[in-house]
Amino acid sequence: MSSVLVSRLPNDIGGDPAGRVEQVDHVLEPWEKRCHALADVLDFHKIINTEEKRRGVEALGSEMIGKLSYYERWIVAFANILFQKGILTPAQLAFKMAEVEKRWTCASPP
Amino acid sequence: MEHSSDHAPHAHDHDEIAIAGHAGYYEIMETAVRELLVDRGLFGADEIRHQIEVLDSRTPALGAAVVARAWLDPAFRSRLLANGRAACEELGVTFYDDTQLIVLENTATVHNLIVCTLCSCYPRPLLGLPPDWYKLKPYRARAVIEPRAVLAEFGTVIADDVEIRVSDSTAMVRYLVLPRRPDGTDSYSEQQLAALVTRDSMIGVIPVLLKNGVQAP
Repeated sequence: MSSVLVSRLPNDIGGDPAGRVEQVDHVLEPWEKRCHALADVLDFHKIINTEEKRRGVEALGSEMIGKLSYYERWIVAFANILFQKGILTPAQLAFKMAEVEKRWTCASPP
Repeated sequence: MEHSSDHAPHAHDHDEIAIAGHAGYYEIMETAVRELLVDRGLFGADEIRHQIEVLDSRTPALGAAVVARAWLDPAFRSRLLANGRAACEELGVTFYDDTQLIVLENTATVHNLIVCTLCSCYPRPLLGLPPDWYKLKPYRARAVIEPRAVLAEFGTVIADDVEIRVSDSTAMVRYLVLPRRPDGTDSYSEQQLAALVTRDSMIGVIPVLLKNGVQAP
């Protein structure tokens, strides 16, 4: 039944069987809140709008959607969309991530 | 945050407040993406800071104020149902995005429920950010196919002769439920009414209850 994979993309779950609604919630981590603010600012500046973000998450595929948390999916989708739009390159992001990690490692307690 | 040796004699092991000890891969990615875009001049670092303040300023109390006003002012209620966004803006609730708002009125014969099956769209300017359960599969998948069973999991039983309408949000169109005003609140002030109105009642998973927990008939 591979046709289901075509007719129902990973986000399209309305009507699917699923378990009980557990009334879970959590206070956002500071980086998660920054990620949300980043999404809004990207939308304000017409760099990535809400629907592009949603499709960007969907394009991660069902395995990543299943294994990454909500804001983890967002930031990875943003990176991919920025690559596609030619705003950033993977190499630039990799170098910047290494720089940030080094900066924080030096600043953190042992 | 240099850790020079002159810090060493100060030997108690309190947690550092400045930066978490173990930044994760995605947190590093968030910071890297943000800094690269700020370096490009695509937006200012102050815009992220400001938007965090905006997000922190949005709580269900804003939606509750809108509901209480609608209960007390029939003309406002009509404007709210005709154009949700414009009526909320009358009360000073700004919409920081370009979404439209449709307000769905619960009545004796209709109970409304909102969902976003595709993702997590939600009336954030009025309610703040959605709870995790709203974003997870069980609610998104089941609200549209078996709303009565979902409502029962929130302790809400809707009579069989009441129609349940489920509205599925999109990137551009968001919904808010206008719950029914509980009986026994004729003497309540606007502030007292607003205090009864909760986030979950504006999503539509529960009715508005009096403080003593008695459900409005």
